[in-house]
Amino acid sequence: MRQLFFSLLFCFFSSFAAAADYHEQLNLRPLPQSALLASFNFRSNISVSDFDKGNFRFFPRSLGQILQHASTRELHLRFTLGRWDAESWGARPWNGAREGGTGVELWAWLEAASHQEADHKWLMLTNALSGLFCASLNFIDSTRTTRPVMSFRPEGDHPSLANTQLLHGTLPHEVVCTENLTPFLKLLPCKGKAGIASLLDGHKLFDASWQSMAIDMRPLCRRRNDCVLQIEQTIDMVLDIDRSKRPRHNPIPRPPPADQLPCDTSKPYHARDTCFPLDHTKNQDWALSQIFGRPMKGTCPLTDPQVSPVCIQIPHSRPVYASEGAREKKNPDRISRCFFPPDPSADFDLSLPAPADPSDPEILGPGTPLLYAERSFTGYGQERGGIQTILRNPSPHKEVEFIYMETLPWFMRIYLHTMEARVAGQPAPDKSLVREVYYRPAVDRARGTQLEVRMRVPPASTVLLTYDFEKSILRYTEYPPDANRGFDVPAAVITILDASQGGKEPSPRRPAAYTLRTTSLLCSLPTPDFSMPYNVIIFTSTAIALAFGGIFNMLVRRMVAADEGPEPGLKVLVGKLKKRLGALTGRR
Amino acid sequence: MARLLASALQLRRNPRILKLPPYLSFLCILVGVAWLFLLPLDQYSRRTYISENALLPGQVHTYFSGSDQNVFRAYKHEVAALAGKTNAQINDGLEPLLRGFGLKTARQNFTYHAAGRAYAGENLYAILQAPRGDATEAIVLVAAWENVRRELNRNGVPLALTLLRYFKRWSLWSKDIILLLTPDSIAGPQAWVDAYHDAHDPSRVAGLPLKSGLLQGALAIDYAQEGRFESLHVVYDGVNGQLPNLDLINSVVHIAQGQMGIGVALQEMWRHSNRYGDRLRTMLRGMVRQGLGLASGPHSAFIPYHVDAVTLRPFGQGWQDEMALGRVVEGAFRSLNNLLEHLHQSFFFYLLMQRERFVSIGTYLPSAMLVAANFTIMAIALWVKSGQPGDAGDDDKAPPPPADEDPLPTVERKLFRPLAAVALIHAVSVVPLYLFNHAPESALAPLFALFALLSAASRPSSPTSSPAPPPPAPSSPSRPSSSASSSPSPSSSSAPPSPPSPPSTSPSP
Repeated sequence: MRQLFFSLLFCFFSSFAAAADYHEQLNLRPLPQSALLASFNFRSNISVSDFDKGNFRFFPRSLGQILQHASTRELHLRFTLGRWDAESWGARPWNGAREGGTGVELWAWLEAASHQEADHKWLMLTNALSGLFCASLNFIDSTRTTRPVMSFRPEGDHPSLANTQLLHGTLPHEVVCTENLTPFLKLLPCKGKAGIASLLDGHKLFDASWQSMAIDMRPLCRRRNDCVLQIEQTIDMVLDIDRSKRPRHNPIPRPPPADQLPCDTSKPYHARDTCFPLDHTKNQDWALSQIFGRPMKGTCPLTDPQVSPVCIQIPHSRPVYASEGAREKKNPDRISRCFFPPDPSADFDLSLPAPADPSDPEILGPGTPLLYAERSFTGYGQERGGIQTILRNPSPHKEVEFIYMETLPWFMRIYLHTMEARVAGQPAPDKSLVREVYYRPAVDRARGTQLEVRMRVPPASTVLLTYDFEKSILRYTEYPPDANRGFDVPAAVITILDASQGGKEPSPRRPAAYTLRTTSLLCSLPTPDFSMPYNVIIFTSTAIALAFGGIFNMLVRRMVAADEGPEPGLKVLVGKLKKRLGALTGRR
Repeated sequence: MARLLASALQLRRNPRILKLPPYLSFLCILVGVAWLFLLPLDQYSRRTYISENALLPGQVHTYFSGSDQNVFRAYKHEVAALAGKTNAQINDGLEPLLRGFGLKTARQNFTYHAAGRAYAGENLYAILQAPRGDATEAIVLVAAWENVRRELNRNGVPLALTLLRYFKRWSLWSKDIILLLTPDSIAGPQAWVDAYHDAHDPSRVAGLPLKSGLLQGALAIDYAQEGRFESLHVVYDGVNGQLPNLDLINSVVHIAQGQMGIGVALQEMWRHSNRYGDRLRTMLRGMVRQGLGLASGPHSAFIPYHVDAVTLRPFGQGWQDEMALGRVVEGAFRSLNNLLEHLHQSFFFYLLMQRERFVSIGTYLPSAMLVAANFTIMAIALWVKSGQPGDAGDDDKAPPPPADEDPLPTVERKLFRPLAAVALIHAVSVVPLYLFNHAPESALAPLFALFALLSAASRPSSPTSSPAPPPPAPSSPSRPSSSASSSPSPSSSSAPPSPPSPPSTSPSP
């Protein structure tokens, strides 16, 4: 029955395949230290005319309508958790183009004639996306929104960007979790029911060492007036194989029984109760159903049958076993191969056995990234601080030119004159390292600091970029809950410019060759003791009440001698009553 | 109102009132000291409690046991093989172990010069990056190669290594865990913490090549004794008398005592009966340590940077093994890992008198303030006296002439010379300060004795030898017994300006 339904569905959709196509692919890449990079990529196209008519097909309608409503030309949304360990994992997937800083990051080109209109549409967009993705995107207000000048370039083909504005916002404190994954999967044509998306389990995804979910929408044009809108959904995750292989019902890493602990028996002290543990993190053996907790449920019937759903990057010398009947296609580059499941409805599994020689894992070496970046705070105390970014160029003879963009909250007031770049090991700052600075100062409670620096790092050297800032004191209602935690500072975005292209063109117009983001920071501001205002209010109120009562009493009281005053007690009341009565009777 | 003022002015001349201040200030001292001795009573001290609910100490199962003990024994052999080698050789031996866990390691060189000696060494540290975290926060586990008594930390270092290997398997850490292995217990951690906060002198202490986020807490293991132990000694004094947040101590006590059933001792009170005498002794020991302000362990260097830290030191002969201590550390780290905010809820100023009893600043401060008040009272009294004619104070028996009609007799206070003398003597105190800071360690004790003698000798002779005795000099010898201890006369300021403690960065012998 299910098969019939799918085949019907397939027939129905294949007629549109020429105009609107969809394909998905999972790329697996074993990394050193028993890690595995899994990149899920889902891509669908829709012609602009269909989109304008509301004929969405594979394009998610919920997102499409939001984009139409906010007249968004190009959209990039990122949900990221954890950090990419460039030292051991090497270069980032997609050259860093499909990841964001920790938390949520959003940037979009909006069609707007003025700043006000753009702000209005941006507000609409963030609020709508916030509802769609169950994320606090609506907290991207004016203090967290910037208009990057040099860092971001549109990925799509736009006839003209004259009437569009680029807005960028980040939420570093947003914790990405399953409530963001579910709406993400719902945007897919096959949801999470079939195809590679069926491997995405919240428990495994959010137990990964690093994961990034990305949504990119951009127009692509082959010719003038022959444009398609492309939506690309990407999930990249780095799984720790040891951790993901633990069964779901017993995830606690209890010490293994003593006889199962691999020991180095060559140590002289080796005994039954003494065991020098062997480094067993080099060996990789896993199966898809093991590390994702379930096998792949067939293939999505809507996907392009020419594109293989599962590929793995591993030297051809190492065997990989797939489910029976699957077709294996080894690519000519000798480091990758793809698999075509035989039956679109049957479960598919893939397994990588342990290498024959445990000392040689036979995996691809990690690629060297163009730049390593690490950012940290300097100084201590609650008045001032500094930020230091260590930028290391690993290439022995190629200079790296990049744009360093920092978005700081308004309560960190930077001293721009203290910003200096120097090559590590040299005492004096080198003025030639910084080529161009774009700085938009913060306005208290209205907008944050935006700093974009175009700079270069000479070959095989390390550059330290440092600047100081002052911490301002917030009003006590402006502190968030858990104020003593500190305030998250969004990641810095480093866009490395492509040296091979652009030539004599002004450098910032060159396309990005590689993007990376530093980790976010936690800035501790002076935080009051929040019980103190209440103590002060209560104390001062009591004091004022006492003083006021006494003084008021003394001011308004008329002092007369006892015999001059009216007689006290009942007689006065009776007298008053009599007077009143007398007046009444007198009037009559 | 005017009458009230007038009567108050009248009081100034009342001879009985003028005789009062010495007795009043003596009463202040008496009450202040008596207050101190009341503090250990049940009515004045409080039971400790966990103020920060997020800590949840002792609420988690700890799994550090089983075959990890075999690993611990192996690491102990490795550490024992390195004993007696140089600092660099030790680090060369330990670094591959840490790298084998998949941790990032780095080293840091430092050289300090204090009291004529050089303290040089190399710190080794490793960062366990939180599996899903973002380098914003970190917790530190410190294992010094030698403890403050210069004993080899023969169980502490292997335990820290085994713990890190075990922690690496968990995915629940929200903060990075830094393992810091220092050659000694005072200079090494100081150099590392200074460099972590960029407060170091780059010519003596190297910067850190690898960093993580804000430090939220630190725990040091000092397990030098061989074999099993009975109880845990929690050392919490920081340099310059600073203390960690009480919640941290309470959590450790709670985990050790409540969850693991290990006794906890404070301030080297190996046996504590929880009666008045022991409580008082614990409290006074704590006060003396705070007053001296010396570093008491590897944790001390962290506290000035607002990083709460304690040292755990097992002692006694019992049946608790190193895995039990490991589970205490595991429990404490799980608690710190739960923290969303920096520790701020509980007290930073307190006196502990037993592991579960303390007095907070609100209770003990009046005692200190009363003792301090007597100086003010006597100073005001002496000032008032100095403004009266010289014979008035001398002649107590004869009532003053009918003062009601006369305006108050006043004398002009000649202040220039006494003030100049005080300023000069204060300025001269730079000499002992310089000497104490630069004398070699062996010369410190004789130097201190010399200055103590000098200042004691200068005291009785001050009225005659000082260039300008204050004008009311005739009156001051009349009551030497009561005012000698408390009067702020210039002679008292010639005492050594500070106890001969080396600067906070220098290790104490």
